[in-house]
Amino acid sequence: MTAPTHRPTAATPPGAPASRPAGRPGSALFADRRVFLLALIVVVGAVMSLLSPYFLQVDNLLSMTQYGAVIGLLALGQALVILGGGGGIDLSIGSSLSLSGVFMGLLTQSAGLSPWLAAVLALVFGAFLGLINGILVGVIGIPPLIATLSTLYFYGSLANVITNGKQFGGFDRQGFSFLGQGAVAGVPVQVLLVLIPAFAIAAWAMKRTRSGQHTYEVGTSDRAAALVGVDVRRLRIGLYVLAGVLAAVGAVVTNSWLLTARPSAGTGFELQAITIAVLGGINIFGGRGHLSGVFLAVVLVVVVNTGLQLAGVGNSVQVGILGALLIVSVLLNRVIGPRGERP
Amino acid sequence: MTVLTPEPTAGPASSRTGRSISSATLLRSGLMPVLLVLELIVFGVLSKEFFTAGNLSDLVVNSGDLALIAAGMTLVIMLSGIDVSVGPMLGVLTWGVATMTGAGLSPWVVVLTTVAAGALLGAVNGTVIVVGGVAPIIATLGMAAVYQTVLFLLWGSRDLFTGPVVPLLSGQKALGVPLMVIPILLVFVVLAYVLKMRRFGRHIYAIGNDATGARLLGVSVGRVTFGAYVLLGALVGLASMIYVGRVGVVQSNSGSELTLAAIAAVVVGGTSILGGQGGVVRTLGGLLFIAVLQKGIVLVGVPALWSGVMVGAAVALAVSVDVITRRQVDRRERGNR
Repeated sequence: MTAPTHRPTAATPPGAPASRPAGRPGSALFADRRVFLLALIVVVGAVMSLLSPYFLQVDNLLSMTQYGAVIGLLALGQALVILGGGGGIDLSIGSSLSLSGVFMGLLTQSAGLSPWLAAVLALVFGAFLGLINGILVGVIGIPPLIATLSTLYFYGSLANVITNGKQFGGFDRQGFSFLGQGAVAGVPVQVLLVLIPAFAIAAWAMKRTRSGQHTYEVGTSDRAAALVGVDVRRLRIGLYVLAGVLAAVGAVVTNSWLLTARPSAGTGFELQAITIAVLGGINIFGGRGHLSGVFLAVVLVVVVNTGLQLAGVGNSVQVGILGALLIVSVLLNRVIGPRGERP
Repeated sequence: MTVLTPEPTAGPASSRTGRSISSATLLRSGLMPVLLVLELIVFGVLSKEFFTAGNLSDLVVNSGDLALIAAGMTLVIMLSGIDVSVGPMLGVLTWGVATMTGAGLSPWVVVLTTVAAGALLGAVNGTVIVVGGVAPIIATLGMAAVYQTVLFLLWGSRDLFTGPVVPLLSGQKALGVPLMVIPILLVFVVLAYVLKMRRFGRHIYAIGNDATGARLLGVSVGRVTFGAYVLLGALVGLASMIYVGRVGVVQSNSGSELTLAAIAAVVVGGTSILGGQGGVVRTLGGLLFIAVLQKGIVLVGVPALWSGVMVGAAVALAVSVDVITRRQVDRRERGNR
């Protein structure tokens, strides 16, 4: 029996057994999280469309995916940080979105900048917020959980201070709303031109570039990676910067979609992002998991949320279902995942 | 049993004298008292109202619930765990308190039921973490969302108005001192004693320092961890009654603001987030520091919106000092061997 396919070969730590028993027959296929997710999406989608004829209509699918784009970007950033290991997690990702969005609003409304230029500056600002996290974790050595918990507080409150409880506008100029409200061939722009390219580039980079391979290596065993010459600290700082940039991209898309920047725009998104990353098969201890799995998890969460919405289940209840889903998906990782995954 | 001897930095119980006290160690244990005194002086000078008896007892009344949660959180963090579900958990429990009080139940029945219910919710967290093997941050993040939804469903767009359950858990004063000081101090004294002197407490230090080593020495890691989460839940139950008395209303998001504040108090107090070091007395210091900061900011005239920024910065600063000094101490110890 060979190793389960979703374990990247590059991530196999030196000294790990070359092959693992596959457990129950058929579990090798099912153990690939992506097969499981795909089956779940098909089943849930079929049930939804049977229950509500509205489910598969174009405008419903459209509004569904508009919502999914922002949370998908955050989940991608979260997945990258978690993959880098060392307890990596970014709780500040929602606050980073709020603060970057407010920063952009400050530029467009108070400084009168073009929204496009302000968007670019917001991305730089997001990178800076990620860099602060990276420095707290990588240079000072604060455990990621606490470092990003304090910046969750810090960024979120700063967004409130800047807006003084109000909201910013000034985005509906120079065709900026196209990004968040337009559609090409029926597919929302932020999905076609932002979310899918972001995932495609990231997935390609994780497979084909050196930094991508290093991320898996560092996530599996930072000591071994350091011994073969990988700069662990720089790589992890880079991952936090990436997460910050992706949160800022989410902020830009949100501003273009809703045309307002609110200090609470990203509140609670950290939970959703972590849930999606873990549901997508990213091992919370780093080094294992596929970004394509995360993408499928985004699709699943969007389908489930939309279904619940159509069934008249409110937003607040969806949060609880997501929380339960998070715990169940981690338990699933242990039950149907390959053996030896127990921490 | 050597692993169970008190931690050198854990306080006065340390009797090992061979090692000289370095500046790093001094900074670790002495920073908080110095900062606290400094803070009191600054606010005392800037605001005339600060040192009035009324303001000081306000300070206690306003952070009594937080104090109890932070005390329990200390144990969990010392085990290098965390519980980010305490706020929503408290919210669910306050709904129970308000409903039971509204139904005219005897106050002490309400107290006992609420503490038991809190312990039960803590046991749910503990089960997911210990039996399910889910990382504490993931488990409690998920449970936080679940509790939030449970409260939302229970609340059902109907705010419940209620008052203090028993005088001992309220802001009612005797000789100018709020009565709630008694149970709160009792909890801290008992926990400090247990951590220092009892087997459960020593096991917490042992597990926090080296879980594998502790397990090899026969410490029942799972049971102690489970116990810590149950204890935290029970304390959240106790806190929920102070909260109800203080706020007077149960809403759909009651309690959610307490989670980060509790963790912040523990961490700012100097209990190491890496586990194995710290104690509830330190948490009391951290709690005072944050409470004074929040109150002082308002008295001095800075908009209340800034308090989150200040607390976030204080947490980052405190943890940075902790991590850097701990690294230095470790390095020197390694050099000495």
